[in-house]
Amino acid sequence: MEENAQYLYITDRGFKALVKGLLKERRVYGTVRKDGFPAFKEISGAEEIELVQTPTHLSAKEFLFPQREVLLKFDIKDNTHEAVVEAGDQAIIGLHPCDIRAIGLMDRVFSCGAQDVNYLARRGRTILIGSDCMPDRYCFCKSLGDTDVDSGFDIFLHRLKTGFIARTGTEVGADLIRKFAGPRMPSPRELTELEGLRTRREGSFTATLEAPPEALPGIYAMSDESPVWERIGSICYGCGSCNNVCPTCYCFDVRDEVRANLNDGERVRTWDGCTLDDFARVSGGHDFRKTRAARLKHRFNRKFRYLSGRFDSLFCVGCGRCSRACLVRINIAEVTNELIRESYKK
Amino acid sequence: MSLYANPTKSSPPSPYLPSACRIEEALRPTAKEKFFRLAPHDPHILNYSPGQFFMVGLPGYGEAPISITSGPDEGCIELCIRAVGNVTNAIHRLEKGDTLWVRGPFGRGFDVEGMAGKDLVFVAGGIGIAPMRSLVKAVIKRGGFGRLTLLYGAKGPEEILYGDEFEGWRAKGVDVRITIDRPSPGWKGYVGVVTTLIPPLDIDEGRTLAVVLGPPVLYKFVIWGLRHKGIKDDDMLLSLERRMKCGLGKCGHCQINCVYVCQEGPVFRLSELKGLPEAI
Repeated sequence: MEENAQYLYITDRGFKALVKGLLKERRVYGTVRKDGFPAFKEISGAEEIELVQTPTHLSAKEFLFPQREVLLKFDIKDNTHEAVVEAGDQAIIGLHPCDIRAIGLMDRVFSCGAQDVNYLARRGRTILIGSDCMPDRYCFCKSLGDTDVDSGFDIFLHRLKTGFIARTGTEVGADLIRKFAGPRMPSPRELTELEGLRTRREGSFTATLEAPPEALPGIYAMSDESPVWERIGSICYGCGSCNNVCPTCYCFDVRDEVRANLNDGERVRTWDGCTLDDFARVSGGHDFRKTRAARLKHRFNRKFRYLSGRFDSLFCVGCGRCSRACLVRINIAEVTNELIRESYKK
Repeated sequence: MSLYANPTKSSPPSPYLPSACRIEEALRPTAKEKFFRLAPHDPHILNYSPGQFFMVGLPGYGEAPISITSGPDEGCIELCIRAVGNVTNAIHRLEKGDTLWVRGPFGRGFDVEGMAGKDLVFVAGGIGIAPMRSLVKAVIKRGGFGRLTLLYGAKGPEEILYGDEFEGWRAKGVDVRITIDRPSPGWKGYVGVVTTLIPPLDIDEGRTLAVVLGPPVLYKFVIWGLRHKGIKDDDMLLSLERRMKCGLGKCGHCQINCVYVCQEGPVFRLSELKGLPEAI
């Protein structure tokens, strides 16, 4: 882990200078408190950023995979299509380790097979800056392997009492730190403070899974007939909140929008959700996942089993957002634990 | 690390950009279906195999996955499209000389070479005859197969597709048997759903491959009938219909358990669907 990562100390003023430098050349999204809740927001000054330690309710995926994005422009009369790639230089500040891992998974999805130029162009122009987190009662990333990341970011910041320890994950990140933040080598005391922070975080998790991550695909494979699905299906509203807030839910719809002149328009993609009613319905009316129970089972399996063969990873990063957002308190860690306990009985 | 440094210069073309096709012929064989012969501007997309599909679209309406009905290497793309939704109804208004937009071909089709030497039983229900025609034409063209039997079920005589081509297929050695769901005045052929044609078949189960194409409701019953004739799951090929928005293995709509139908399918051996409870 330590080979690539370089530990540097920057002051609070250095951090502000870094943000200011980024703002000169790109859009910057950072974490703020919005009505008291942590959220990502476009910022225009370094003082707006608060590196909130608890997770944001919405993930940062909208900055890489917008809720609505144009894929094509067309002109019906001229019978023409033009590909559209909406991408500009941007930076996201305040990503937690789970968010960074989630972006790594999205990178795999959109670069596997056919290159999704819309996502990849935007991703290629995005600087990722991580920051420390502290778990709330829904976070369970520790049970999925690691509470920290050692790659996938340009810069990762650890907040000390004064100043930051900055780790750089890319040349771009290292250049930015050198150019704007006036780094120096951290003192032994500062590194000890960092270790203390890490230890405190490790000890702060309350939600845990009762099986190791590598056992989860197998446990889900044994759980097709579990009564759990019917039970949570019977209370699920089918609202799609879990899909919306999930940093690794990437399913989308594509539809055409025509302007009022009935001639030119756009082919747009918008987020879709596998827990929504018509997600798997075909034109003849046949629905391959008719019940909310079947749709929830599909979503949970996508996170822990279905995609693990294709992308060599679980697709849940343990951020707990779906549990936090669920109107009827379906909790992904608790459901998984129920399935784990059932599997022990089999 | 950027995935690529300068997207405007080095990025690949958008996989969502469709390719224009001129409609060379537009026919209305039945009340519900329209048949199109397309000449694509980009000849590369003519390189398809039976069982594959295109995302077919019209600006202002969107796209729908449509299977190919022409045989391979015919220098054109033929599609037989049933009007069932927004996109397909709009496509039905197109005529000769108009432009249709396609992306593809997508998916895994039939491995005609790998099927050579076998007896083939083709079972088509309704619009399933459209992709079946592509396969039958490829098989006839290649030759070197054993007995060829086509079982085709339509709701009524007025819904039969490619009725004028069956004599030609028979002349090439295909035993074509057609049934309609309910009796109809003047109809002298079989009556009953397509599964009723299976029990009387004389099948050498050791050297027979069955190909099943039809609406989702068809599969359970046809599979049951074919298993009774001794055909193994490994020797049954079928094509799955799913909602699709991209054809690229990304939008998630066609996912069944671990597989993306638009990537690993739409053609599967039945044995490959074992452990995928949502498949059929």
